[in-house]
Amino acid sequence: MSLKMNKKKGAVRREGVISDLDYKYPKTKILYWAIFAAMCVAAAICLAPPLWVILSSVKDTKEFYQIPPTLVPHSYDFSKIGKIWSQFAFGKYYMNTIFLTVYSIAWSIFSNGLAGYVLSKIKPRGSSVVFALILASMMIPTSVSMVPVYKNIINFPIGGFNLINTFLPMILMTGCNAFMTIVYKSFFDGIPTALLEAAKIDGCGEIRSFAHIVLPLSKPIIFTAIILAFNHAWADFFWPNLVLKDRSTYTVIVEVFHIKTSIPQDQALMILSFAIIPPAIMFLIFQKNIMQGLTMSGIKG
Amino acid sequence: MRAENKRKRTIGQAVMYWLRRDAIGWVLLLPSLFCFTIFMWQPLISGIGMSFFDTKGFETTEFIGLENYVKIISDSGFVNAVQNTVEYALWSIVIGLFVPVIVAIMLNEMIHAKGFFRFAVYFPCMVPSIVTSVMWLIIFDPSAGGLLNHILSLIGLEPSQWLQNSSITIPLIVLTMTWGGFGSTTILYLADLQGVNTELYEAIEIDGGGIFKKLKYITLPYMSGMIKMMFIMQIIGVFQVFQQPLAMTGGGPNNASISLALVAYNYAFSSMEVGKSVATSVVTGLMIFAFTIVYMRLKKSNED
Repeated sequence: MSLKMNKKKGAVRREGVISDLDYKYPKTKILYWAIFAAMCVAAAICLAPPLWVILSSVKDTKEFYQIPPTLVPHSYDFSKIGKIWSQFAFGKYYMNTIFLTVYSIAWSIFSNGLAGYVLSKIKPRGSSVVFALILASMMIPTSVSMVPVYKNIINFPIGGFNLINTFLPMILMTGCNAFMTIVYKSFFDGIPTALLEAAKIDGCGEIRSFAHIVLPLSKPIIFTAIILAFNHAWADFFWPNLVLKDRSTYTVIVEVFHIKTSIPQDQALMILSFAIIPPAIMFLIFQKNIMQGLTMSGIKG
Repeated sequence: MRAENKRKRTIGQAVMYWLRRDAIGWVLLLPSLFCFTIFMWQPLISGIGMSFFDTKGFETTEFIGLENYVKIISDSGFVNAVQNTVEYALWSIVIGLFVPVIVAIMLNEMIHAKGFFRFAVYFPCMVPSIVTSVMWLIIFDPSAGGLLNHILSLIGLEPSQWLQNSSITIPLIVLTMTWGGFGSTTILYLADLQGVNTELYEAIEIDGGGIFKKLKYITLPYMSGMIKMMFIMQIIGVFQVFQQPLAMTGGGPNNASISLALVAYNYAFSSMEVGKSVATSVVTGLMIFAFTIVYMRLKKSNED
C-alpha cells in the first residue's frame, strides 16, 4: 500500500532505520549495499529451487542423467512436456483439481459469506451463541476430530452415503472456515446499518437487500476470498489424500504425493512443475491481493 | 375488546417479525451450521468420547476408561514421538523464528528492488507444501548425482546422506518447512513495521544515536509483541507437523522423524487401532490447547 503511495509521489521514501541523513555517510552506504546483497542471496534461496525444478524438467533426458550433472541445462527438450502429460494422463488430475477448486470457492463464499452476514446484520436471537462457538472452534486443534470426520465421510450423517472417491467432503469442509466467517463478519460490520434500513423502508426483504446492496459492496472481500480459497483448494492434501482413493479422482497434489520418487527423476521434476506453475501464475497476476489477504488474515487470525 | 384486539395484533406482529428476522436469519445460517456441525463440533465431541472406548474398525465397542491412554503412553513409540515433536519445535525456533524477523527488517530498509524482493520472499509460500516437500526430497537425494551432493563435490566436500542421516533429519525437515513458510511471516512483520512512528527515529537521531540504537530501542521493542505471538503460533503449528515427515521420510529413518500427528495417523489408517489414534490426538490437542491459551493472552495484551 505504502509502495503505491510512494510511486505517486515519484520517489521511494526510506521506511527503515536508515534515514537519508545516515545514508550520507560512506559507512552506512556500505552497510546498505551489504544488506542489499544479503537480500539478493535470500531472494536466490527462495527462487532458485523451484526454478531449478522447472528448468531441469525440460532438460534433454540424456543431459539429465549425465555425470557430472549440469546445474543450468544446455539442451532443452520441450517434447517431454507433452509426452509426460499424456503418459500420466495429467489432464484428468488438472480437471479434477479445477472442478474441486471451483466448487470449493463457490461453497466457501456461499456458506461463510452468508454466515458472516447473518451474524453481523440480521442477528437472529441466539446467533451470538453460534458466533461464540465459531470463535471457540478456532482455538481447538483439529487433530482430535480426524477420525470422527473420516467416520462422517464414510457414513455421512444424512442418508448414510459413503463419500469416499467424491469431492463432496472437501467442498463441504470449505463451508466451515471459522477464520473466513469472522473476516466476512467484520467486513459487514463496516457497512452502515442505515443503508440497509433505508432499503427496508423502500420495501426490500433481507434476501433482496443482501443481493442488491451488500453483494455489490462486498466485491473486494469476495475477490480476496476467492484467491485464498483457490490457494487452499489447489494445495489441499490431507483430506483429498484420505478421501480420493481411486486414481481417476486424484487431484494434482495427491498425484504428486503418490508419485514422489517412484518414477525417474526427470519425470518427477516435470510433474512438480505441473503442480507449481498454476499457483505461480496466480501469484504473478494477483500478487497485491494475495498479500493483502495475508496481512488481513494475520491481523485478525 | 379493543385492548384484546390490540394484543392480538401485537402477537401477530411478533410472529411476523420473528418470521421476517429470526427465521430468515436461521435459514441463511443453515449451510454454515450444517458444515460446522458435521466437520467440527460433532467430530470434536465424539473424538474425545471415542478415546475412552475400545474400537473395531471405526466403530466403538465397549467402554474401557483410560486404557487407550495407558497403552499409548507406555508405548516406547509415543515417548519417541513426543521427543521428536519437541525437537521439531526447538529446531523451528532456532531456525524459523528469527529468519523472518531479520529478513523483514532488511526488506524494510530497501529502496531498490523492494517489490522484487517481496515477491521473491513470498514466492515459496505459493508452492503447495507437498510439492515443497517432494522438491526438497529430490534436492536432498543422497546419491552422488543428487543436486546438493553435486554442489558439495564442486567445492570439494564429501557427499552427505542428508535425510537418511537420522541425526540431521529433523533439522533438515525444519529447514524445508522454514523455506516454505517464512515468507508469509516476513510479510506480516513488514506490514507491522509500517506502523513504527518515524518521529521516534528522528528523536534518536537528534540525540546522536545511530542505526543500531534505533534498531535496539525502537524497532525491536516495537516488534517484540508480534515476535512473542509468532513464537507461540510456531509451536502450535509445529506440534501438528504431519505432511512434511509423511512426504519426505515417512517418519524414518527408524522413526527418527516421526511426529505425534503421524503416530495418530498411522494408528488410525495403517494399524487400525482407532481408539489409540484418538487418544494420541487428544493428548496432542491438550498440549496445543495450553499453548493456544498463552497465545490468546498475548494477543489480548498486545491489543490493549
